[in-house]
Amino acid sequence: MPLSRRLNRALPNVLSTGLVLVVMAILFGPVLLLALFSFNDSTVISLPWEGFTTRWYSEAFNDDGAMHAIWNSVMVASIVTVASLVLGTLAAWGLTRIKFRGRPLVAGVHGAVLVVPWLIIGVAGLIFFSQIEMALSLNTIILMHIVVTFPLVVAVVSAGLIRFDPSLEEAAIDMGASQLQMMRYIVLPQIAPSLAAAAIFAFAWSFNNFEISFFTGGFEQTFPVWVYGVLRHSSNLPVVNAASTVIAMAQVILVFGLWFGMKVLTKKRGGTDRDAAEMITGAVR
Amino acid sequence: MGVPMADVPSVAGERPGRFSKLLRPVAFMSLPTAVLVALFLVPMGILVYFSFQYGDLTGSSGFTFSNFTDILGDPLYRKIALTTFEIATIAMIAQLIVGIPLAYVLAYKAGRFELPLLLALVLADELNPMVRIYAWRMLLGREGLINDALTSIGLIDQPIDALLFNKFSVIVVLSTSYLTYTVIPIYASMKAVDSGLFEAARDMGAGWFTTFRRVLLPLIAPGIFIALLLVYVPLFTDFAAPTLVGGTTGYMLGNVVSDLVLENGNLNAGAAMSFLMLLAAGIFSLLAYQLSRVKQGAR
Repeated sequence: MPLSRRLNRALPNVLSTGLVLVVMAILFGPVLLLALFSFNDSTVISLPWEGFTTRWYSEAFNDDGAMHAIWNSVMVASIVTVASLVLGTLAAWGLTRIKFRGRPLVAGVHGAVLVVPWLIIGVAGLIFFSQIEMALSLNTIILMHIVVTFPLVVAVVSAGLIRFDPSLEEAAIDMGASQLQMMRYIVLPQIAPSLAAAAIFAFAWSFNNFEISFFTGGFEQTFPVWVYGVLRHSSNLPVVNAASTVIAMAQVILVFGLWFGMKVLTKKRGGTDRDAAEMITGAVR
Repeated sequence: MGVPMADVPSVAGERPGRFSKLLRPVAFMSLPTAVLVALFLVPMGILVYFSFQYGDLTGSSGFTFSNFTDILGDPLYRKIALTTFEIATIAMIAQLIVGIPLAYVLAYKAGRFELPLLLALVLADELNPMVRIYAWRMLLGREGLINDALTSIGLIDQPIDALLFNKFSVIVVLSTSYLTYTVIPIYASMKAVDSGLFEAARDMGAGWFTTFRRVLLPLIAPGIFIALLLVYVPLFTDFAAPTLVGGTTGYMLGNVVSDLVLENGNLNAGAAMSFLMLLAAGIFSLLAYQLSRVKQGAR
């Protein structure tokens, strides 16, 4: 084969591999470097490499601000995830399986929450809570997180429910199953992967939410709000490095863990990787 | 995500179970709807009400348009709005330039790497945005790693200041923050395209650019509009990135809102600014949504 032909063949592959590598480097490179430099024995984050240390980690673990903020975020995100799964699944079922008057309107409001910027929801929440004289705290953060997160669960679970044939549900009822049995044995297994995906997204949305926590938290800090505060005053940076690395690691493990669980769940009922991929894309379609 | 919820297909196989027809929707929908009304619609309503109110230290208050006329008449705000538009638009275009080819590679070329790459994109989005901003700051700063590396290999004598605390760094941070939401809708719309069409186009003598512009682009247009809907509005209202890496030249509308509300304590002006941004976001979203549906209908 002449060289030019061979180049012509190979070029697209080289280009696509190059593109993927560059994008991955841009997306993950900075965070990996941050993790690397959290082990650097220097108070400034720069070259040259001063030697390996874990002291920033012990400092981070002894930093009240950091630990308190991380604990707050974990607690808030857990509560928000559970509440959003309950509310979101109820609404997803209602919006996809029950015909009622005003359904397009109700569905529209669920969708609207997802496109209103969090900055504006945060400001609205701040004014709202000041008007009803509810002191800003973790509670107000949780309330506002729930209202922006559960519509996401609705989107993900609805996508799962739409793909799943309702005639199976009728068949179960015809064969004498109660509503509860039908939900437990027919519906739940079918939408379990969607629920797992929704749980990943809900937890991450709440955990990573900065704007709403910033405006409706008062004196309480979640992890992103804490990092923001520290970065604004540029103090204690190696500790932020260490704490951020711990959080990033935990998020990687969480996402992979739940992803793996989801795959097992889909495989168990004869699904393929394809179905798992559709779980991700289904929600945005 | 999941914006097109309004078009869920009509319910098939409706069957009255143990709940009566009237009670079933109430049982499922009352709680979620109540939460939406109490914590979304009411606060948004109060925000709009506040934007038409004035209040001063003497305690007098009432209806006014002055919050809006003040904002719209202020040349400084106009300048910031322009900067915001510029930053958000460049970041969006940059993401599309990277995102469309990336989605293409994912959809047609990646093979067994398709799922791991998709997962990597999801993971990139799940990483904490503050951590990401911080990582970029560490890279781009005057004493950052890029300057360090370039100085130590002798490529430059003086550290480059232009990397951080300006529009450029905001654009870098913002475009990398939302890439996932740009790529996935476009990828999803590409998955629905029959790749045999490309061969047909090639057989008929079309070059790759013609194939892209005349065959692929029209088919993935809905995905691009969804990406715009998901990404452009958050880009427009971001204020963490501009505060932390924007310096004085990368000051955006989100910072105005945050400063008005938290620094100046001027809730009415902050509400008015938020309301204006909400209007802009709403008009833009409706447009993008309509366009995505029109294109979908044409398919």
